[in-house]
Amino acid sequence: MATTLKIEQLNYRKNLKKILTDVSLSLSGNKIIGLLGENGAGKTTLMRLIAGLAKNARGTITINGDSNLANRKSLISYSDPLGGIATNQRISDVKRFYSKVYPDFDEQKYTQMATFLKLDESQRLSALSKGTREKLVISLTLARQTSIYLLDEPFSGIDSMSRKKIINSIIQWKPADSLMIISDHYVSEIAPILDEIVIIKDDKIAVHKAADEIREESGQSIEDYYEGLYGEADIND
Amino acid sequence: MEFDDKVPIYYQIKTVIYDQIIAGQLAPGDKLPAIRQLAVSMTVNVNTVQRALSEMIAEGVIISRRGRGNFVTDNAQIVEQLKQQLMTSYLKQLYDRLHRLNISDEQMVAELTAYIERQGDSNGNDIED
Repeated sequence: MATTLKIEQLNYRKNLKKILTDVSLSLSGNKIIGLLGENGAGKTTLMRLIAGLAKNARGTITINGDSNLANRKSLISYSDPLGGIATNQRISDVKRFYSKVYPDFDEQKYTQMATFLKLDESQRLSALSKGTREKLVISLTLARQTSIYLLDEPFSGIDSMSRKKIINSIIQWKPADSLMIISDHYVSEIAPILDEIVIIKDDKIAVHKAADEIREESGQSIEDYYEGLYGEADIND
Repeated sequence: MEFDDKVPIYYQIKTVIYDQIIAGQLAPGDKLPAIRQLAVSMTVNVNTVQRALSEMIAEGVIISRRGRGNFVTDNAQIVEQLKQQLMTSYLKQLYDRLHRLNISDEQMVAELTAYIERQGDSNGNDIED
């Protein structure tokens, strides 16, 4: 069954600063959604709210009509940056931890991805390059069998070869019946794999459209369209 | 594969596959790779490949056989039609552009003939290429 993620009237403040204002968004079907916006626009906050990791927001978030937080968490795999794991741990330890904590963790699938991405089990977290660390995060995130995948800036600060490998694994291993949201502030490389685009600007949803519709209607690339949207603001300011 | 991000991706996928059919890389009756495999090889979304295939199926060039996959039609007439359509659209572009430059039809034919001859020469002489 296709998953529907519905966000209604979501408001979130941090230290009196508005991060998200009246955000309503309905995403459904087995799609890949690009969540775009400048650094600090609220992309990570929105992802953490969806994943149930950030709290005290006003508004509702439901998956297939269910707003229960525990149920929601069990349906979402979020690309956790591994901040809570000691850096002397080896990749094999992290994998064991994931398979213990998450009943939906598919070891076989993890092994396929780890082999494709050439992850060395024996390496310690502290020894990983940024690209390798991100490959590990993606493998762990996609190895869980869930309805929704949230990938928070999986491409920031990594080399283009690693980026290509990661994009390739997303196409290969995203389960057919799942919804995926990928956030990024640099769109050109992932544009061809996105079904829909959501742009956050000034703590609101500025655009939610099908990617090919944007190309068809505007004759612009997704990147130009996105930059144009931000450019207008500078002129008006 | 590099796409032009200004043009709908599903449309570019169609163009790539139609080109392969007309050029004979995909023969009539050939089975197409699985959708996910096509998506991986072109680095595009599975849904976008699906949309391109649906249109090609609606246009009769691809035949979907339930449980067996997608095949290039073995109806030679359809492939021939596709070839004509594509050639006409390329020729129209060229003709319209040259026409806008006030070049007469006779001159166009002469220039095109001369151009093709030169192409033939350079292809023949330039072994390095």
